[in-house]
Amino acid sequence: MNLHPLAILLQTGLLLALAPFVSGVIKNWKAKLQNRRGPPIWQPYLDLIKFLGKDVVISEHASWVFSIAPYVVFLTALSAGLMVPILTVQAPLSLFGGALALIGLLALGRFFLALGGLDPASAFGGMGSSREMTISAIAEPALMLAIFTVAITAGTTDLSRVAAALHEANWQLLNPAHLMAFAALFIVLLAETGRVPIDNPATHLELTMIHEAMLLEYSGRLLAFMEWGASIKQLVLMSILVNLFLPGTLAADGTVAAFGLAFLIFVLKLLGLSAAVVVVETVNAKLRLFRVPDLLSAAFVLAALGLLSTFLFQ
Amino acid sequence: MLLLSSIVMIPLASAALCSLVRSHRVLAGFTIVAFAAELALGLQLFRRVLTAGVVSEWNEFFHADALSAWMVLLIAAVSLATSLYAGRYFRRDFAAGVITTGRIRQFFVLNSLFAAGMFLVVLANNLGVMWFALEATALASVLLVALYNRKTSLEAAWKYVMLGSLGLALALFATVFTYAAAVGPHPSERLPNFNWSHLINVAPQLDRRLIKLAFVFAFVGYGTKAGLAPMHTWLPDAHSEAPSPTSAMLSGVSLKIALYALLRFHILTTQCLGTHFSGTLLLGFGLFSMFLAAPFILVQTNLKRLLAYSSLEHIGFICAGIGMNTPLTIFGALLHMGYHALTKPVLFFAAGNIHQTFHSLELRVIGPGVVKVLPITVCLMGLAAAAATGLPPFGLFYSELTVISGGFAARQTITSVLLLVALIAAFCGILTQLTRILLGAPKVEHSNDSKPWDGVPAMGLLLGALLLFSVWLPGSMLQLIHRAAGIVGGIP
Amino acid sequence: MNTPITASPELGSQLITLCAAVMLVLQFLLVVQRMLLTNIRLFALQSLMLSAIATIVAAFYHASHVYVVAGLTLVGKVFFLPWLLNRLVRRINITQEIEPLLNAPTSMLACGGLTLLGYIVARPFTTLQKLGNNTLAIAITLLLTGFFLMINRRKAISQVLALLTVENGVMLAAVALTTYGMPLVVELGIFFDVMVAVMVLGILVYRIRESFASMDTSKLTQLRG
Repeated sequence: MNLHPLAILLQTGLLLALAPFVSGVIKNWKAKLQNRRGPPIWQPYLDLIKFLGKDVVISEHASWVFSIAPYVVFLTALSAGLMVPILTVQAPLSLFGGALALIGLLALGRFFLALGGLDPASAFGGMGSSREMTISAIAEPALMLAIFTVAITAGTTDLSRVAAALHEANWQLLNPAHLMAFAALFIVLLAETGRVPIDNPATHLELTMIHEAMLLEYSGRLLAFMEWGASIKQLVLMSILVNLFLPGTLAADGTVAAFGLAFLIFVLKLLGLSAAVVVVETVNAKLRLFRVPDLLSAAFVLAALGLLSTFLFQ
Repeated sequence: MLLLSSIVMIPLASAALCSLVRSHRVLAGFTIVAFAAELALGLQLFRRVLTAGVVSEWNEFFHADALSAWMVLLIAAVSLATSLYAGRYFRRDFAAGVITTGRIRQFFVLNSLFAAGMFLVVLANNLGVMWFALEATALASVLLVALYNRKTSLEAAWKYVMLGSLGLALALFATVFTYAAAVGPHPSERLPNFNWSHLINVAPQLDRRLIKLAFVFAFVGYGTKAGLAPMHTWLPDAHSEAPSPTSAMLSGVSLKIALYALLRFHILTTQCLGTHFSGTLLLGFGLFSMFLAAPFILVQTNLKRLLAYSSLEHIGFICAGIGMNTPLTIFGALLHMGYHALTKPVLFFAAGNIHQTFHSLELRVIGPGVVKVLPITVCLMGLAAAAATGLPPFGLFYSELTVISGGFAARQTITSVLLLVALIAAFCGILTQLTRILLGAPKVEHSNDSKPWDGVPAMGLLLGALLLFSVWLPGSMLQLIHRAAGIVGGIP
Repeated sequence: MNTPITASPELGSQLITLCAAVMLVLQFLLVVQRMLLTNIRLFALQSLMLSAIATIVAAFYHASHVYVVAGLTLVGKVFFLPWLLNRLVRRINITQEIEPLLNAPTSMLACGGLTLLGYIVARPFTTLQKLGNNTLAIAITLLLTGFFLMINRRKAISQVLALLTVENGVMLAAVALTTYGMPLVVELGIFFDVMVAVMVLGILVYRIRESFASMDTSKLTQLRG
């Protein structure tokens, strides 16, 4: 239960470094699957560096909310990431809360993101914010239920303890409750990171944007932190998916070799999940906005069923 | 001698033969012969059951006790009358160009299959085979209801098949639960005995919760097929849209066959639980059916739907009688089953005659004064209506009296009073509606029917039997019904 | 390898639970899916899961006659019936369900409630179940959601599919409650009954289509009172 400054630094560095990598991989592989060459995998890093060097232009209607929103998004995503076990079973900030704190932090980030979209009084920004709120209204309960399903098996909401409990049990792979929670969480991942079929991250038509619309007014380092925050959030959710449902591969002891192996396996799991996301994005078309609640409530009911199954299949 | 097997095989053979015959005139003849043979076999079964108590064949696959024998007699009688009527009925429709030879052949084949299924239901010992036979009956009757391919018949058939199949799926659930309960007393056996005759002997050892759950499912499931409210919504549609011979079979016996299946579960449940759980359910929903039927009878505008609601009321009465669970009321209920089976088909045959003459079943189109157009039909219909509403000297009066006095004797005063009220309401309803169309002077001129003797043999046969057995019930038959009542009441 | 599978019944129980859970999820998908051909495929998948459960039972509990049941389910419900229904849908040329009574999210929530109800009904029988914990709850849920599906949908074929899922539920209950299934005679009877029932339903659906020029059962409203 002690705070290892080294562990915090290490995990922060990992999150900061890996997040753009995952975004880059997904973009590149999606292009490859669509028979294009696509941007190189390290393109997001180059973009971040470019944004950090540019000037910030702020609308005259915007208030201080507009300026601090990117930092809030970035910091909440980062702190949420520090509560998730990534390389070891013990997450660095786990003593400050478990699943509920994580969800709360993500919600805070989303709130400020939406505010940031509304603040400059731009029509598209407001539209994006309202759509984002609609989607998250259903996605968030699904997320909670899915995480709780796994938590119930372990008997605690502390994600580290959940991972530790699942570390022992081997056959949880076949547990229908976990499978359903995994499926629900996957759909929520698509919703939270603004991917097809909920939102098209590559669209340039403002009327079809959800996430991009809220970022339209941002420039310079504000945009850099927004983008970085978004990709860190994506990484956090993906880590939850791969580490809480397949935790047997986390580092058992503190040796460098174990860490190295854990890191390798973690990256491999991330790549596997990215491949799944890429396939889903390519195969599906974007849903019309009023159909999105249908999909999300399917995720919600799936998560609820998973939760119910933990009681059903005692 | 393979009595029970022949009872089941003869209609099957008749169905096979009918599918090969070209001319539709011969079809009716075949079926009449087949069902006459069935009636004879039924009487023989009746005699054997009286002396031996129980008849079984093929290692207890077929099993006939007094209750089964009583049902076999009813099915055979009604089927015979229906075949007698059907020949004339379809000949007339064929002459009018309403139906083709192929459809007529379809009718006779399906009708025989329908009857075969019903015989199998009452003679099968294995609860699963009983379910299978009832489902076969349901499928055959669905195609019969849809025979004329009118929009309304298709609608009726669809409602019937959906509700019926759903009900039977629930009944299958009940069968599965009962089977699971049967596994209990013999955990070492791989495939325990699923015969009813065996289950009733080990009933107290069966798992009570499973049997209770099974009965609830069976009640809703088989109750749907038996036409108990509130699962009865298919009944008026199916019974009115089917060709009249089929309506007679449906109202006359098939409802009672479904009720028979439910009764087998009722007996098992009562033996196992030792309480009146199943009886109370039967009583409650029986009363509900009767009170539901009464207002619908009063506002009816379609003749056959009127008769169908009357069947609903009678089935409710039988259920209530069995639910009251005293020897006298059960005896009355079973007697009522028999008399109703003899009466209702006559009403449907007459309705069929009216339909073919007036080309409509709407009461305001048929109009008052049918007696001037179809005097003999109306005369017989009037007698049957008097019987169906419970007027003496017809047997239904005695059976109703038996049930109600049994109820009073067993201190179930309120129930008996409610029964009486419902019966009176139905009595008023049916007689008002029927006298309004049958008597009086016709508003529109209809040509006098040139075939006044149509359908009379069939109707006369049943009415004659009814009258005969109303005033003189032979001692052996009384004994059979008493034995059957004993089985239902729990004395094997 | 001629030795029979002697792995622990625990594994078998878990596999059965998994298959039953997939059946439940497929049922939920059936409730929201509107393309008729996809629905038929979902039903085929569900029956495949049922057949898998029967096979697992037969393998782990050395009950060879249950293989027959598994085989019948495979041939009948996974191949024959979907083929029959597919042919019917193509002949009738109506491939999509119209707006159901309750929209998708509400239907899903309703079915979730029904799942809970199924669990409550099956709770007293947990000790009696031989394999796969609480597959009885799923069987009853299949029954209840099948009911719901019948009420919610208007196209005749969807109602037929709903009925078939109820039958799947019954078969699942038979597996859950009895180790060796029901006697072969009964199983065969039920199997042939279902086949014939679907054929009869097919005939009716075709006739309804011809008569009403539509499969919309909400148009069948002439008979009232």
